[in-house]
Amino acid sequence: MTRLLTGLVAAAFAALLSCNPCTAQSLQRLSVESFVLSADTTRPRVDTPFHLIVLLRVRERVTEINNIELPLLAALELLGDEREVTSDARGSQYREVITVVAHDPGTLAIAPATLQAVDARDGHPKEWYTNDLHLVAGQSPERIVSSVRSAFLGVVWILAPLAVLVAIGVVVLLAVRAAANRPRVVVPIVVEPIAPPPAQRTLRQQIEDALVVLRAERTRGAAVRVRAAVWRTIGASEGATLADVLRRPGSDEVPLRDVLIALERSAFTYDADLSPAIEDACGALERYAGSVV
Amino acid sequence: MIAAREPGDLRAALAKTIVGQEAVIEGLLLALLCNGHVLLEGPPGLAKTLACRSLAAALEGEFKRIQFTPDLLPSDIVGTRIFDQRESSFATVLGPIFANVVLADEINRAPAKVQSALLEAMQERQVTIGPQSHELPDPFVVMATMNPLDSEGTYALPIAQMDRFLMKINVGYPTRDQEREILDRFALADTQPVRAVATLDDVRSWRAAAHNVHIDEKLKRYIVDLVAITRESEGVSVRSSAGATHRACELIDYGASPRATLALAFLARGRALLDRRDFALPDDVRAVAAATLRHRIGFNYRLATENIAADEVIAAMIAAVPAP
Repeated sequence: MTRLLTGLVAAAFAALLSCNPCTAQSLQRLSVESFVLSADTTRPRVDTPFHLIVLLRVRERVTEINNIELPLLAALELLGDEREVTSDARGSQYREVITVVAHDPGTLAIAPATLQAVDARDGHPKEWYTNDLHLVAGQSPERIVSSVRSAFLGVVWILAPLAVLVAIGVVVLLAVRAAANRPRVVVPIVVEPIAPPPAQRTLRQQIEDALVVLRAERTRGAAVRVRAAVWRTIGASEGATLADVLRRPGSDEVPLRDVLIALERSAFTYDADLSPAIEDACGALERYAGSVV
Repeated sequence: MIAAREPGDLRAALAKTIVGQEAVIEGLLLALLCNGHVLLEGPPGLAKTLACRSLAAALEGEFKRIQFTPDLLPSDIVGTRIFDQRESSFATVLGPIFANVVLADEINRAPAKVQSALLEAMQERQVTIGPQSHELPDPFVVMATMNPLDSEGTYALPIAQMDRFLMKINVGYPTRDQEREILDRFALADTQPVRAVATLDDVRSWRAAAHNVHIDEKLKRYIVDLVAITRESEGVSVRSSAGATHRACELIDYGASPRATLALAFLARGRALLDRRDFALPDDVRAVAAATLRHRIGFNYRLATENIAADEVIAAMIAAVPAP
C-alpha cells in the first residue's frame, strides 16, 4: 500500500513537472513528423527498473519542447526522467526517457502522451497523441525462488520423515528428468511497439505543405527542395529535365504546368530575379492547390 | 536585357522559307549568337545551302559559297596578291571567305592544307595575304557541310580540326508531311526571297545579351559531368543491333575536350536567349549536348564492327547523367 502511494505521489509530481500551463498564445509552432511512446521491454519484471521512451520529431530547429504531457503512471514508481533535444538539418528530435519500476505483477496500461502545439502546416492549435502501451509485469525469479523455499521448509518441518523420503524421491526424479532433458536457454525478445503509420497526405495537402515551406523560406535552397518535392508528388523521376516532366500525361494542364515552370525558374534564375520568381511560384502553387480536388 | 528585335524573329523568318529542319535553323542561329561555326552532315538536297543563304538575307549580311574540290588551293579561299602591270605593283584580291555567312560545301573534298587554311581563318578571324593581315567581317559564321554517302576521294577532317566547330548537326530527311509542304511551297514558284528582319548590329547586341545569360552553379556541374562522362564511361552500356551489350568505354578512344565544356555553356546561353530567357535551364544544356559532343569524341573501330550508331552511344551517355 505504501509503495502504491509513493508511486501515485511520484507520478503526480512528474506530471506537474512536465505540464506547463498551456494557452493558445504560448503554444509552439511545430510541424510534427512523428510522436511515439515505447518501452524497452514488453514484459517488465516486478522490482526491476525499465524505461519508457517518448520520441517526438519535428521539422523545425528548436531548443526545447514545452507542452508535452506525460501519461499518469499510477501503477509504477518513478525513478528518473531524462530529456534531450537534438537538432540537425532535417529538424529536431525530442527524446524523454522515464525510468520506472513495477512492484506488483499484472497488466500495465499506459495512456498516450500528449503534445499541444500550433500546427505549422495550417496555423491551427492542435493536440497530438502518441500510441498507448500495454505491458505485462511478471514475478522476478528471486521472488519465485524465495516463496518456493519457505513453503518447502514448512513442509519439511511438519512432515520431516516423510518429507525426507519424498525429497529423496523428488531429487531422484529430478535427476532422472534432468538427464533426459537437455537444458534450454530462452533468449528474451524485446519488441518495441511500432507507432501507427502516419496518415497518407493527399495531393492537395502536399502542395499546401510545399507552399507553406516556400512562403516561410524564400531561398534558392528552399525553391530547389520544393521543386524536387513537387516532382516526386506527380511521380516524375529525379534526373529528368522540365521538358521530360512536361511530356508526362497530365503535366500539360495549365495549373500544374505553371507550377513546374515557375519552380524551374526559381531554381535556376539569377539572384536578383529570385524573389519575384519565388513569388510567382507561390502564386502558381496556390492556384494549383485550389484546382486539386 | 533582350534587344527589341529578338533572335526568335530570325527563326520565324527562316521557318517561312525552309520547311522543317528545325535543328539546322536552331544550329545556325546558335552559331550566330555564340560566335561559332557549324558542321552540317547530311545527304545533298536537304536545304543546307538555302538555310545559309536565307540566314544571310534575313540579316542583310553578305553570303558566299565555296565548293570544296580536291584541286582547291588556300588562296582560292582567303585571297591572293595579283601583279597589276599598269600600276607595276601587287594588288590584294580578297577571297570568298570575306563574308558574314560562308557556306563551305563538302569541306572534306579538299586536301588538308585547304581545310587547315579555312579552319585557321575560322579560329583567328583574320587572314594574312602577303605582308598584310585582314580582319574578317563581324559577324562571321562558317557553315561547313559534309556528305556522308559519297566518301570516295575525300579527306576526313582530323578530330583536332573538327573540335573548332561549335556544333555538328546531322541533317535528316523531311517527314512525308514536310515533303508535301515542300512541294506546295516550291514546286509552282521559285524560292521566295527572305525578307530582312534584323541587322548585323542586332546580332552583335544579341551576342552581348547571350554573354550575360545566367548559368547556375548546379547547371555548371551538370555541364562538367556531361563532358566528364565521355572520358569515364565505364558505367554506361549500349546495345548493338545484334543484341550484345557493350560498355561505352570499349567503343571510345578519347572523350571530349574542355572546349566542349565551354561550347556547352555558350550554346545553353544562346538557347536560353532564343527562348527569351535570361537564365539557362537543364533543358538548354541537354538540347545542345549531342550536337556539341558528337564530333569531339574519338570512337574506335568497334563502333563500326558492332554496328552501333555513334549517336546511340552519345544518347546513352547523356541519359546516364542526371539533370539537376
